[in-house]
Amino acid sequence: MARLQSAIAALHEVDMGRGGERNGSSIHPLARFVVCLGYLVTVVSFEPYDLWGLMGMSLYLIITGIWEDISIGKGLCGLRYALFAVCFLGLVNLFYDRSVIYKLAGISVTGGMLSFATLFFKSIFTVSAMYCLLRLIGMNGLCRALRRLGIPGGAVTVLLLTWRYLIVFLKEIDRMGQAYMLRAPGQKGIHIRAWGPFVGLLLLRSMDRAETVYQSMLLRGYDGGFRQAGMEKGERTGISILYAVSWIGIFGLLRIFPVFVLAGRLLTGMG
Amino acid sequence: MHMADALMAPAVAGGMYVCTGAAMCYSMKKVRALEQPEKIPVMGVMGAFTFAAQMVNFTIPGTGSSGHLCGGVLLSAVLGPEAGFLTMMGVLLIQCLLFADGGLLALGANIWNMAFYGCFIGGMVIWNRTMKNGMSRKKICAASIAGCMLSLQMGAFSVVLETLASGITKLPFSLFLTAMQPIHLAIGLVEGLITAAVLVFLYETRPSLLWGYSEAGDKQGRLSLQQTLGVLAAAFIAIGGLFSLAASAHPDGLEWSVERTAGSGELTAVGTAYEVASDIQDVTAILPDYGFRENESAVGTSLSGVLGGMAVIALCVGGCYGLRLFRRKSR
Amino acid sequence: MEEIRAEHLCFSYDGVRDVLRDLNFCIGQEEAVGLIGANGAGKSTLLKILVGLVSGYRGRVEVGGLHVEKKHLQQIRRQTGYVFQDSESQLFLSTVYEDVAFGPRNYGYDETEVDRLVMEALRQVHMEDMKDRQIYRMSGGQKKLAAIATVLSMEPRMILLDEPSGGLDPRNRRNLIQVIRTMRGARIVASHDLDLILDTCRRTILIGEGRIVKDGPTEEILTDEKLLWEHGLELPLSLLGRQ
Repeated sequence: MARLQSAIAALHEVDMGRGGERNGSSIHPLARFVVCLGYLVTVVSFEPYDLWGLMGMSLYLIITGIWEDISIGKGLCGLRYALFAVCFLGLVNLFYDRSVIYKLAGISVTGGMLSFATLFFKSIFTVSAMYCLLRLIGMNGLCRALRRLGIPGGAVTVLLLTWRYLIVFLKEIDRMGQAYMLRAPGQKGIHIRAWGPFVGLLLLRSMDRAETVYQSMLLRGYDGGFRQAGMEKGERTGISILYAVSWIGIFGLLRIFPVFVLAGRLLTGMG
Repeated sequence: MHMADALMAPAVAGGMYVCTGAAMCYSMKKVRALEQPEKIPVMGVMGAFTFAAQMVNFTIPGTGSSGHLCGGVLLSAVLGPEAGFLTMMGVLLIQCLLFADGGLLALGANIWNMAFYGCFIGGMVIWNRTMKNGMSRKKICAASIAGCMLSLQMGAFSVVLETLASGITKLPFSLFLTAMQPIHLAIGLVEGLITAAVLVFLYETRPSLLWGYSEAGDKQGRLSLQQTLGVLAAAFIAIGGLFSLAASAHPDGLEWSVERTAGSGELTAVGTAYEVASDIQDVTAILPDYGFRENESAVGTSLSGVLGGMAVIALCVGGCYGLRLFRRKSR
Repeated sequence: MEEIRAEHLCFSYDGVRDVLRDLNFCIGQEEAVGLIGANGAGKSTLLKILVGLVSGYRGRVEVGGLHVEKKHLQQIRRQTGYVFQDSESQLFLSTVYEDVAFGPRNYGYDETEVDRLVMEALRQVHMEDMKDRQIYRMSGGQKKLAAIATVLSMEPRMILLDEPSGGLDPRNRRNLIQVIRTMRGARIVASHDLDLILDTCRRTILIGEGRIVKDGPTEEILTDEKLLWEHGLELPLSLLGRQ
């Protein structure tokens, strides 16, 4: 159950980061969320052969990573399995798209190679952008953003509670797994006879816990709605809008102009 | 089965968001109409439960491998399809952000492929229909297995359709389909068995937790062997129907795809062993075996790209660190 | 004036066996009462009846002058704080601040007022510097104090504590005793930690098999070794030396 350990570690990391606590940022989480979505849409919309145009989109990640002190490399390392899965489908293109686009230093570059490279970088960029988003605003911030977007309060409450009890249950499953393994050495997983009780007992306990949670909510005036602070201390509407608009504008420019190529031409004077 | 952002075209992703959004609105309305405020915390806690339960390795007897739970059918059998769907949405969103299991843009599609079919087809159609006249162990097993298998088949089929509609991968439709469907048949069977084991356990310990359980109905909840077989057969027929529909669209599979990509149907040429060998090489080689003109402007573009990229990135990194230094000083 | 009054209170979960049988008691303003009894004696059930979490009792129960019934529940809960045995379930939001602010926000205070209430509640349990802590990262003692803060932030007139010292180490326990002592309003502390009761409550009610066995000054009940023994309890450690 290595995945379990990595999940616990990832949760710790997110909650330890700035997103987990009030970070005193002047930018509302909704602005960050919108910028992230804008980034994802722009990245995904690049043509399969437009590798150099796509590369320009790395600037957002570089700037955000440095400015906000987020180690994107570390994040990508942790998420490498997700990247492998994507790249597998991209590999197929190498075999099925072999029209030569150009030759570079004697090597023919096929459409498949280009589209594979584009796909590879697209997945790195999108995964990194999501990684940044969660580290920047955390789950509380995300819920505030979703609330502002008009997602119903009930759905957001479910999300918040899921996030809150995730670590509790992960640790519980971990303990149960350890207790099981200690009495069943040499088994890789849960034996078929224990399938039902193992998960079923946890389910029963979860239901009991849900009841206490509900009672606790009820005693503190819960009436089905969910209230969170709209703006937190230090958040400024103006700065948030400026942040969102300028990034979206930059994405638009990067989408139209291949910045890297233009800069290179300028440097080498190749016009 | 999680789809990544990079594999989705924005239009397809948007379309799937609309579908998922509609299902969400419907579910919210239904859950609200129940007027059970205690449902919200139950859904939240069950979401965390599902997430954690997905991490458990279940040993599949007789094989060295292990299976996992996805949870759509299980959740809707406990919470009801609508509440189950909303809960699964939360689980998938967190999974996407925390593990990059599927992307944020592709989330609409992922919710549809995994939560919608699991909860509405597996839960609403199969579970509810089967349990209409009371519950029994056999019925629970049949409904869980049929529900999981059918919803996974439909999910896998949707993945194929969405990927191809996005046009990112050049993998031929029929090849992709023949790879996806049988694998998910097996995965669905294992998930169905796990779901059945958990639900039967619940039925024996605290049956009131199960969706649609009533003590009166339980008395007559006998399912004969014929009925059990009937439910399973119906599921298999549905799966088989989907399968053959997909397969018949492109009966010549690989040949069709090769013909399309290679253009002139070289493979059909009757020739010597040498020709056949070269044809095989043609299909498998990554690098093309025919020459091509050197493209001056493309080379120029790449060169400029590399150089310019390095310069711009250096400028950016330098600028950011400089500004950060300035920010720290100003504090 | 009495804050809590129960007359001929009976309760049964299954309609067959009575968990509570004919309870009669009054608790005044600013009074701290210990509720003791063996496991399953009905302590938690009694507390839950007072805030309407368990319904269907017989007899008459008044809290804050209001009869405990559906139409008064909102008002009763507004002025009554309930600290659950399991703080992990009571604290359902991710950070301390968010969780303590949950109650005041639900009662419609604006953000500046919410902030004042939250900080005041956290000050009372000496946790001001932990307001941005993730709840799952806290120790059992910290969670318990945070759970008390979530209740204090609503400025309740009376507070019910269900087994507050369970699983706490000695230092956290002492801390907790300090906090309970400085609370304002009527308090009921249900526990079988008799040392805790001795340190926090003047009066004690002993429940056994659903009945009030004895109701009187704490010192008197907790020194009656025979009585305690009969009800599955033992003398508080701090009193052992005096005998």
